[in-house]
Amino acid sequence: MSLPELDQRDDDELIGTILAAAGRQDLEAMAAAAAEVSEMTRNWATHIPWDEFDSLDETALNEVVADLTQMWEPVDLQVDADEEYALDKNAYDFYRPAGRNLMTRTEEFHGWVEARRRTETWQYSRTLEAAPNSIAQITNDIGRRTRGINFNSQDYLSFNTHPAIREAATRAMRDYGPHSAGSPMVLGNTRISDELEASLGELVRAEQVTLFPTGWAAGFGAMAGLVRQEDHVLIDRLAHSCLQQGARATTRNVVRYEHLNVEAVRRHLVDIRRRDSRNGILVVTDGLFSVDADWPDLVTLQRVCREHDATLLVDVAHDLGSMGPGGTGVLGLQEVLGDIDIVMGAFSKTFCSNGGFVASASPALKQYLKMFGGSHFFSNALSPVQTAVVLEASKIIRSAEGDLLRSRLHSAVTALRDELTGHGLTCMGEPSPIVPLLIGNEKLARIANRLLFDRGVLAFMVEFPVTPTGSSRFRLQVQANHEPEEARAAARIIADAITDARTYLSSAFGSTER
Amino acid sequence: MPRYDAIVIGARCAGASTGMLLARQGHRVLVLDRSSFPSDVISTHFLWPHGTSYLNRWGLLDQVLAVTPSHTEVTFVNDGIPLTGSVPDELLRAYFRDWHGDDSGVVRTYASVRRHVLDQMLVEAASKAGAEVRTNFTVRELITEGDQVVGVRGRDSDGQLVEERARIVIGADGRNSFVARTLGLPKFDERPRCTFAYWSYYSGFDLGPAQLHRRGRLACAVAPTNHDQNMVLVWGPSEWSREFRRDVSGNFQRALDFVSPELGEVVRTQGVRAERVYGTLDQSAFLRPLAGPGWVLVGDAESAKDQCTAIGMTHAFRGAELVADALGRWFSGDVSLEAAMASYEGRRRSQNAAAYYDYVCTLAEMRPYRHDELQLFVALRGNQQEIDRFVATHADVAPVSEFFQASNLLLLNDAAKETSAGYPVFEDYPGTARMYQQNLFA
Repeated sequence: MSLPELDQRDDDELIGTILAAAGRQDLEAMAAAAAEVSEMTRNWATHIPWDEFDSLDETALNEVVADLTQMWEPVDLQVDADEEYALDKNAYDFYRPAGRNLMTRTEEFHGWVEARRRTETWQYSRTLEAAPNSIAQITNDIGRRTRGINFNSQDYLSFNTHPAIREAATRAMRDYGPHSAGSPMVLGNTRISDELEASLGELVRAEQVTLFPTGWAAGFGAMAGLVRQEDHVLIDRLAHSCLQQGARATTRNVVRYEHLNVEAVRRHLVDIRRRDSRNGILVVTDGLFSVDADWPDLVTLQRVCREHDATLLVDVAHDLGSMGPGGTGVLGLQEVLGDIDIVMGAFSKTFCSNGGFVASASPALKQYLKMFGGSHFFSNALSPVQTAVVLEASKIIRSAEGDLLRSRLHSAVTALRDELTGHGLTCMGEPSPIVPLLIGNEKLARIANRLLFDRGVLAFMVEFPVTPTGSSRFRLQVQANHEPEEARAAARIIADAITDARTYLSSAFGSTER
Repeated sequence: MPRYDAIVIGARCAGASTGMLLARQGHRVLVLDRSSFPSDVISTHFLWPHGTSYLNRWGLLDQVLAVTPSHTEVTFVNDGIPLTGSVPDELLRAYFRDWHGDDSGVVRTYASVRRHVLDQMLVEAASKAGAEVRTNFTVRELITEGDQVVGVRGRDSDGQLVEERARIVIGADGRNSFVARTLGLPKFDERPRCTFAYWSYYSGFDLGPAQLHRRGRLACAVAPTNHDQNMVLVWGPSEWSREFRRDVSGNFQRALDFVSPELGEVVRTQGVRAERVYGTLDQSAFLRPLAGPGWVLVGDAESAKDQCTAIGMTHAFRGAELVADALGRWFSGDVSLEAAMASYEGRRRSQNAAAYYDYVCTLAEMRPYRHDELQLFVALRGNQQEIDRFVATHADVAPVSEFFQASNLLLLNDAAKETSAGYPVFEDYPGTARMYQQNLFA
C-alpha cells in the first residue's frame, strides 16, 4: 500500500458518482469513477463488471445499477414488528429488569409476552376443556379452542381415566374429605399416608420415605435440608429446575458438570477432596432426563461418589412407574435398586397426582429432612384424595396390569419415534415416555408450534429456559392409551408442520446437534 | 476422465485453502481467481485462535506471524464495563476434536492480518502443494451437461478463451459468488438487518492487544496489524448508514469519540492515517444451498454473516478443511459424493451452527445492550474462567448453547463478585437507553 492511497476519494463518494452517472447514462463518467474505486471493493464485488462500464448495454447497465444499489443502500425493512419482537427474544432477556420499582419493571416482559400471544407463538398457559386422555380438547391462552392427539399431558400410564384410580379418589373423599388440614409434621397425614410411604419404599427399595406436597418441593426440600453453605454440590447441568434452584439456594460451591459425564464427576470430586476434606458433597442427577430422554450410568456414578465420600441424589420423577421391570424405572433397569443413597421423585407424571417423595435407607436422614427440608414441615400435607390416588397408582404399577400398561406405552413410543425418524427428524435420547423431538432454532420451533395448534396434535414446545439457547424441541409425552396408529398419524402431522414452518421462515438449517 | 479432479473458483481464504488441502491429498486441482496477488479485498481480516490454529495445522502460521503481530488476550468494553479474556486451550482442543477429529496444531493467539499479505501466502501454499493456480482468470460460464456442472469457460490472463473440466467445481468466490449467481441459487435464512462498517489504517500508536468497544448502537475496534499499523474500525446499525455517509471521516471520528473517548483521543492526537477510509454495508446474512450436481460452495459463498464478530476468515478455513476432507473421501472412492456432501451439510447446517448464526445476526442489529446483558457483563467481572468461555462463545469456539443456558446464567449472577454500583450506565438506564436510540449522525 502506497501513501497516495490516502489522497484517493472514498468508495462511498465514487459509488455515489457512478450511480449518478448511470442515471444520466453517462458511461464514460461511470468508467472513470470505477477506475478509482479501491481494490478492496473491486475484489469484494466481483459480480460488478468494474472494467466494462464504458461498454454496457441497457440490460447490463440496469443490472449494475441494481447490484450497486443493493450493496450500497440500507434495506428498507418491511417486517411484522410484533412477530419480529416475539421471535427475536428469549425469556432470559427479561431476567434482570431495570429500575427500582419492582412492580412497574415487570412491564417490559409483559409487553414481550403480549407480542408472543398476539402472534400465537406463546406455548404456555393452555387450558383443558375435559380430562386429558390420548385425545384432548383445549383452549389456548387467547381463547382459541382446538382438539387433537394429546402429547401435551403427563399421565404416562393413563391413570387419570382409570376406574380404580377414580374409585380410590372417591373413597378418600368420602372417608376424609378434600382437605388435609395441616402439615404432615402436625396432623396433616392419614393412615393412607403411612401406607403410601410403605408402598413407595417397597417400589424403590429404600424404606425411609418422606412425602412432599409437590415434586418441586421434594427436590428443593431435599437439598435445602441437607446442604449447608460450606458444602459442595455437583449437579448435572441439565438436571431439573428444582434441583438447580436448590443448589443455588444452599451453597455457592456449585459445579455444573457436563451432562451424564461420570468421568467429569470423578475429576471434580478429586479436585474438591484435594481442597476440602471436611465438608459434604452432594452429587445430583435426574434418572430419566425430562427433555433429553437419557440417563446416567448410575452404577459407576454411585461408586465414584462412595470413593470420595460424596452422597448421590437421583431424581426419578419421569421414569419411576413408567419404565423398568415392575415399574422400577431407571434404577431397576440398571439393577441399582436399594443401592442409591437418596432417591427423589414426583407423582405428577405417572402416579396421577401432585406430590413428591424422598427415599433412603436411613431413618435419621428421614427425620432430618422432615425437620429441615422446609417444604415438608411448612406446607400442608398432600390431600387425602391425592394420597389415595398415588397409593392406588403405586399398587397398579407393581401389578401385572402395570406391566401391560407399560408394554402398551412402549408400543406407542416405538411407533411415534419410528415414524418421526422415518420423516428424517431427530428423536433425542432413548425410548421412554418422553420423546424429545429436536428442532434447534427457537424461531422455527415457535412457528411450527403455531402451525401445529390447528392441525390436530397437541404438543409442548420447550425452549429457553427449559433448554439451552438454540436447542428448542417438542417434548412429546406419550400415554399408555395412545394407539400406535394414533402416534404414527401425529408424527406425520408434526413432520408436515415443521416442513411448513421451515418454508415460512425460508430456513436451510437442519436439526443435527453439531 | 476430466483433466482435473476439482476446479476451485476463488483463490482467497476459502478457495486457496481448499485447493491446497486437496492438492496435498494428491488430487489434481485447478485454482482460478480474477485478481492477481498480492491484492486486497474488503475484510475485517481478523483470525480468532482457531483461525490461526488452522494456519498452524497447515504449516503456514510461522510465515504469517513473521510479519504480523499476534496476541492472546482481547478486551471487550461494553458500555464502560471491561472484560479481558482469551480463548482457553481446552476449549480450542475440544473444538478441533469435535469438528475435525484431531486437535493437532492448536495455538491460542489471534492475529489481524492484511489480505494482501495473507492471501498471497495462501496462493503460494496452494501452488507449492501442487495445485495449478491461474490468476487474472475471469470465469465467464459454467459448462453443464444436463443439470450437471462439468467445468468452466473463461478468459485467462492473456485474454484467451479457455475451457477446463473437472469432476467437481468448487465455488469459493465470496458472498457475491459467480457460481451461485450463475446457478441461480436461492438464499435462505436471510437477515437484512446488518451493520455498516468503516475502517482505515493508522500508525503512530501501539495499544497492545485488540480492543472492542461498544456503546449504545455503535461499536469500534482497534487491532494491531501488518506494517506497524492499526486497523481502526467503527460500525453501527445499517439504518444509520445514510446519515453516517454524509461525512465519512468526520463521522468516523465522531463515532470513535462517542463509543470510546479514550480511543478517539488516541486516534485524533497520535494516529497517522495511511489509507483512505473504506466502508461497506453489503453484509446481510444468508445461507445458500451447499452442494448440487457437480458443484459445491465453501466460505462466504455458502453462508455469509455480518462482520461484527470478525469470524468470516476463520469459518472459511473451517469450511476448507471440511470440504477438502469430504471431497477427499469421495475422490478416494470411500464414499459417494452424496454421502460426502451430506456429512459436510450436516456439520454446516447443524443446530449449533444455527445458534451461532442467530447470535451474530442478533448482535448485528446493533440494538443497545439490554439491562440484562449489561448486568451479565458486570457479573462476569472477576470470573476469569467464565469470561474466557464467553470469549470462546463469541468467537464460535464453544457452542452458544453451553454458555447461554438458564442454570449457567443464573449461577453466573450468583457468583458475581462486583455490583453495578461503579458503572454510570446503570444510573438512569431507561434514560440512557432512550438516548442510545437517537441517530448520532442525524
